[in-house]
Amino acid sequence: MKAVVLFLALAFAGGPALAHKPSDSYLRVRVEGALLRGQWDIALRDLEYAIGLDADGDGAITWGEVRAREADIAAYAFARLALSADGQPCGAESRRLLVDEHSDGAYAVLEFEARCAAAPQRTLRFDYSLFADLDPTHRGLLQVQQGAATASGVLGPDHPRLELAVGTVSRLRQFLDYAREGVWHIWIGIDHALFLVSLLLPAVLVYGARAWEPAPRFAPAFWDVFRIVTAFTVAHSITLSLAALGVVALPSRLVESVIALSVMLAALNNLRPWVLGRRWAVAFGFGLVHGFGFASVLADLGLPREALLVSLVGFNVGVEAGQLAIVGAFLPAAFLARRRWAYRRLAFAGGSVAIALLAAAWLVERAFDLKLL
Amino acid sequence: MTVFRFLIGTLTCLATVQAAAAPRLPSDDAEILERLSLVRDSPESAALRQLRARVAAAPTDPAPAAALARRYFGLAMAQGDPRFVGYAQAVLRPWDEALAPADILLVRAMLRQYRHDFDGALRALALALERDRNNAEGRAWRAAIFMVRAEYGKAAGECAALAALSDDLLAAGCSAYVEATTGRTRAAYDRLRAALEQHADADMGVRLWVQTRLAEMADRLGDAAAAENHFRAALALGIDDNFLLAAYADFLLEQGRQREVVALLEDRGRSDTLLLRLALAMHELGMPEAAKQARVLAERFAAAALRGDRLHLAEEARYLLELRRDAGAALAAAAENWKSQREPRDALILLRAARAARAPAAAAPVLDWLARTGFEHDGMRRLAAELR
Repeated sequence: MKAVVLFLALAFAGGPALAHKPSDSYLRVRVEGALLRGQWDIALRDLEYAIGLDADGDGAITWGEVRAREADIAAYAFARLALSADGQPCGAESRRLLVDEHSDGAYAVLEFEARCAAAPQRTLRFDYSLFADLDPTHRGLLQVQQGAATASGVLGPDHPRLELAVGTVSRLRQFLDYAREGVWHIWIGIDHALFLVSLLLPAVLVYGARAWEPAPRFAPAFWDVFRIVTAFTVAHSITLSLAALGVVALPSRLVESVIALSVMLAALNNLRPWVLGRRWAVAFGFGLVHGFGFASVLADLGLPREALLVSLVGFNVGVEAGQLAIVGAFLPAAFLARRRWAYRRLAFAGGSVAIALLAAAWLVERAFDLKLL
Repeated sequence: MTVFRFLIGTLTCLATVQAAAAPRLPSDDAEILERLSLVRDSPESAALRQLRARVAAAPTDPAPAAALARRYFGLAMAQGDPRFVGYAQAVLRPWDEALAPADILLVRAMLRQYRHDFDGALRALALALERDRNNAEGRAWRAAIFMVRAEYGKAAGECAALAALSDDLLAAGCSAYVEATTGRTRAAYDRLRAALEQHADADMGVRLWVQTRLAEMADRLGDAAAAENHFRAALALGIDDNFLLAAYADFLLEQGRQREVVALLEDRGRSDTLLLRLALAMHELGMPEAAKQARVLAERFAAAALRGDRLHLAEEARYLLELRRDAGAALAAAAENWKSQREPRDALILLRAARAARAPAAAAPVLDWLARTGFEHDGMRRLAAELR
């Protein structure tokens, strides 16, 4: 027996030692004033080792077996996590048990709320001892969100305590944080940008005699763009606000699919126009849907209750700033290039075809949950 | 209008498709969420239960604690699950390093080297050998760690000490492994093969290891048929062994036998090392599942990075190079890996990453290593010639 282990050892030393993932839990907490809203993902295999879940001993853990131990799981876990705000304990209470998959298997997901005496002004402290007695290599991966700011840390038997600086962020700071997120979203949210570009491409042209011609003067082109951008902005501000305030909710896949559809239709309209003079109306109509798309980003960021308006306006201003940057870069260049073959055939026609194809692919992906690209 | 009909069709589909990858509330109590590697009624589980009971009954007695920790360590090896290493560490925690008996120190060293804490492992081994100079296991472990650190003189010294203690297959394998890595592959292969024939009754685990090493040596000597035979003989022993499967998969990938890799590893994706090989084979075959496997790998590397683990740099480098085609990042990972791990496979990935990134200077440490050891490997020599 000794020799077995020994030779396996020779084979393994320094070799592909890491195979499965070691034991991790994922602890996410969102600070909402005096309320901490959390989600704690703990691997079922770890819970099995700690308290035993496989009631019938068949080597398979079923949802029924997990559900039957809900109270034990919560009791075990929350006896090993203490939260405190500015030195005052925040009592955590489990709200709901769900399950999720991580890259190494199934996890129990404990949704919980912890109520503090007052909103944390300086520090939020975590004392963590989950599995500390059973597995010194266990880690708790912590993520704390307050408004648009995120902090993270690693907890474990060797470092069971973590103190994070939190607290009242200035209104201006909050506004700027959310504005930055808005700009960033326009920058990476290529579907919104392409929708705008599709509507802007024909702005420096006029449609006459069944063909696009260069616009003679800058002013009409400018006002055309102004109307489109304003309509788009007004529309998505309306729905962004409504969705962010929880007045209206739409399923995200529907929203994302219609956004893809809007990009496709806007690009196709350049190739075979059926809406000409009133593109601002199209921008308004679809802008309403894009607003819901922005709202889902904002929902991921989380809106601090105590600074709802500041954050919402900040995010919206950020989105507008991002849009204006695109328009500001696009319009003068397009106007100067509008007579050139490269603009009318390559950028305008070719670009519209490319955008339409890309958007069609998104549409299929989002509507049918496929992965094409 | 067709657009609207399409839109309505889309909406209908949306209503029926559920969102994925978010916490969910299962609707069926019978739904299986997780399969455990140990079934309660298995002999393995029974043995573990018994050992745990003995440890609980006598928490300060080193014998049952070392036995339980060893058992966990064996499970970590067989299944590639690092959780068992954590459990073993917990069992050994009560013993202070300065006062612990040799057996506890030995197991502690094994656990440390598993976490790539080679300095810590050597410290524990030095203490263990102080207490028990003739401990063959301690000698073999020191040899293994010196090999990883490319300290071949010291490794050979440990092998000699081992041979003085016993003349079994273990000692022969130890010195043959050092010899084969330092430019005398043919002689090492012949000697180890003869030793294996003489010790046909040796322990299965030892034979598995020797067959795997013989396969690698035969492959480097250009004899693919012999390598195949050794791998098959090792697999025929019927022992679950992560290292053997990884080595065989690498051999098959090199031979262009990706389909066999998929068949071999399809159900072994729990282990990162094997998942990497499976994803590579699927990728090379153009299978659609390749993207999913690569995504799972990426998630595991990201999770490891979150907890601050840097144990799997060689695998990560290979993933970055071959699946992500990010030569720069692959080179950074391979170079970092070489700082602590200097086995032939670590050398190979650094050479390949350096070539892909067109950064021959970064390969200098491996070129030195090749020159110093005279390591025989045609592929590596060709790569080195290109980089010089």
